[in-house]
Amino acid sequence: AQRPSQQETHIHYAQLGTDVTLLCGSVDQDAAVTWTANSTDLDASHLNGSRLVLRNVDLSHSGQYTCYEGPSWHVKYRVNLRVGLPPKEPIVMCRSNNYPNGFYCSWHLPSPTYINDTFNITVVHDSKEIVCKKEMPPKNRCYIQFLQVFSTKKYKVTLTASNPLGSSSTTISFDEFAIVKPDPPENVVAKPVPNNARRLLVSWQYPSSWPDPDSFPLKFFLRYRPLIIDQWQHVELSDGTSHIITDAYAGKEYIIQVAAKDNDIGTWSDWSVAVHATPWTEEPKHLTTEAQGAETTTASTSAFVVPPTTRLSDSDVTDR
Amino acid sequence: RQSIQQMYDLTRYLEHQLHTLAATYLNYLGPPFNEPDFDPPRIIGAKAVPSATVDIQEWHSLNDNARLAANYQAYSYLLRYLRTMDRATPAALPTLHHSLAHFSASLQGLLGSIGGIMASLGYSLPTPEPSVVPQIDPPTFLRKMDDFWLLKELQTWLWRSAKDFNRLRKRVPPSAVMLHLESRGF
Amino acid sequence: CGYILPEAPVVLPFGSNFTAFCILNDHCSSNVKIHANQIIWKTKNVLVPKEQYHVINQTVSSVTFNDISMLPSPLTCNVLVAGTIEQNIYGIEIQLGFPPEKPKNLSCIVIQTQPNRFIQTCTWELGRDTFLNTNYSLKSKWPDGTLHHCIPQKTKNVCNSSTVVFFVYLEVWVEAKNELGEVESDHIAFDPLYRVKPLPPSNLSVNSGELPTVLKLTWINRLDKQPLVLKYKIRYKTVDSTSWTEVPPEDTDSQRTSFTIQELKPYTKYVFQLRCAINFAQIEYRGNEYEGYWSDWSEEVVG
Repeated sequence: AQRPSQQETHIHYAQLGTDVTLLCGSVDQDAAVTWTANSTDLDASHLNGSRLVLRNVDLSHSGQYTCYEGPSWHVKYRVNLRVGLPPKEPIVMCRSNNYPNGFYCSWHLPSPTYINDTFNITVVHDSKEIVCKKEMPPKNRCYIQFLQVFSTKKYKVTLTASNPLGSSSTTISFDEFAIVKPDPPENVVAKPVPNNARRLLVSWQYPSSWPDPDSFPLKFFLRYRPLIIDQWQHVELSDGTSHIITDAYAGKEYIIQVAAKDNDIGTWSDWSVAVHATPWTEEPKHLTTEAQGAETTTASTSAFVVPPTTRLSDSDVTDR
Repeated sequence: RQSIQQMYDLTRYLEHQLHTLAATYLNYLGPPFNEPDFDPPRIIGAKAVPSATVDIQEWHSLNDNARLAANYQAYSYLLRYLRTMDRATPAALPTLHHSLAHFSASLQGLLGSIGGIMASLGYSLPTPEPSVVPQIDPPTFLRKMDDFWLLKELQTWLWRSAKDFNRLRKRVPPSAVMLHLESRGF
Repeated sequence: CGYILPEAPVVLPFGSNFTAFCILNDHCSSNVKIHANQIIWKTKNVLVPKEQYHVINQTVSSVTFNDISMLPSPLTCNVLVAGTIEQNIYGIEIQLGFPPEKPKNLSCIVIQTQPNRFIQTCTWELGRDTFLNTNYSLKSKWPDGTLHHCIPQKTKNVCNSSTVVFFVYLEVWVEAKNELGEVESDHIAFDPLYRVKPLPPSNLSVNSGELPTVLKLTWINRLDKQPLVLKYKIRYKTVDSTSWTEVPPEDTDSQRTSFTIQELKPYTKYVFQLRCAINFAQIEYRGNEYEGYWSDWSEEVVG
């Protein structure tokens, strides 16, 4: 068939699994037409007069459909068929990792819609709507600045996801104090304590995202275990950013992690990056760990920090 | 002795105690008060409860006197209300009674500490506002709502006070605060 | 027919002097024609020597006792009617005793009885027996002036209070009061937190690790309210031994719920015990060497 000049492309959305009828623009029902899908001719069995009928469409049906009208077979109508689903109830989660500056809300759909979705979020606190500054796509996230602190009024966040096939919304409400969850502690370092075969000195720093440690101190939770054992040992520390493990297995390599929480409110952070260390031993010990870059030859085992490649899943930190 | 330190420690201790006490009391009030998402409107009685909510810039800029005075005023009210809750609690709940009585005593200790520190820093005590504290009447739904808001506001005030006193203990040198307390034979 | 002054009850300190007056009323002195010189004084039916009498006038007779060490009660005023019949006119009870001595060695301890319950028990020494009904009460005061009272129940030198407030200075003293006087003990001031004797950790359990010479002890702290921080003493011995080995305290001076004990004899049964105390050095009272009270030892556990 002949390929005439450009024609405006229309868009047609269809829900997965439904039957779709595409009209050839404004031509009569019984006009002689042919259709192509992505430049592939479609046989007449799909036609109902000048209309193209697609049964139980799936994702593969998405594409560009062009209708040519006889006898000159010029492009009469071009339509982009997009097969997808209406959005299901979106999942939205709000969290403050830089309290008391503000909090962000992030969202996602429980299942893909295969077509473009748009999201609209409203945040209401104390009967006032608060601006939620959206971040550039594809990040489904926006940021809300705390104007007030120590509030007993709940925040109400309503998120509406919509696309041409439908829309769905979710509303959550939460207290300010419930969403405070710091980022994990940073620069965790574990060192042997010279001349003590059962001690390890662990130190760490506040997460850099935590804006005001002085006014909003964090407390920490340390967990450690020798690699040869699955069970962790835990220590909760009300302040300070270091701790001496005093019952380490002599000569055994340890894995150590730290979590953080606001002293008064909110939930524990994820666990920090894991660090490894082995208590001091009499004779120099040759260390081989995957993270160890440079080899040290000092008498005591060296301290090292694993580059932040290993990251434990959220599920490891249960709410305390 | 760093009595701001003790006041700070007492606040954190009360914060912890209140979590347990509030859960017990709300269970005593029963549904919907003990449901996590319960968010009732704040009506007459509860409106009188001093709110801990504060504009964040304003909070940062509070001077020590204003910071202590706000706490003192709040706990003066909260303690009066808490005592009506204790008296309204049926005698058949001795454990709840004891917890409320013990908490009230500790809260009074905190109020006294705040007052003591204000005095030792040369600040005058704020005159408690003559707000009406509900009398002990049968636990109507409205009264239960007031109790709910009282407990939530109290928990929030303790959270705020912990931050307030944490700032104070780092800003105010201990020597400036020595309570004029003669301690003998300690 | 008459009466005695001073009125009863009369309470006198040992070693004091005492004079009582028996006053005949008009009916007795004029109608019955009794004269004060007929009065006979008795202490619990024992005649008082006449030398101690003094007839003041027709209606008044007095009796004096010096350096009283014993004076049985009652003291009665009696007359001999018609020379032979003794008739009692009046009597008063007299008690001898001491004013209360200054209570000494006041000390208080705060016993944890449940995870959230504490009993403050204060004890003191009463001093000598006063032989009188003496009331003791434990007074305590907060810096803001709030007063608390504690009235001893069973024994007079112990008082228990179940309302214990930590982190607030408490000034405590004992007041003793009886008919002959009132006295206060020295005042002591403390934060009740410093007097806490915690419950020992519970649910102690032992599990063996990968190495035959290592055992891991785990437990539940029964005093774990922020900002309180505990420290521990752990001791262990083989089941057939009598001497305990204690883990160096510096290894167990931070809040924890487990500890790994090493260098044990492999394949040998051990007995473990644990006790705890509040770690004041870590509750921001830097450099505070205050030791605090240690709990009792926990139940033994074998592993």
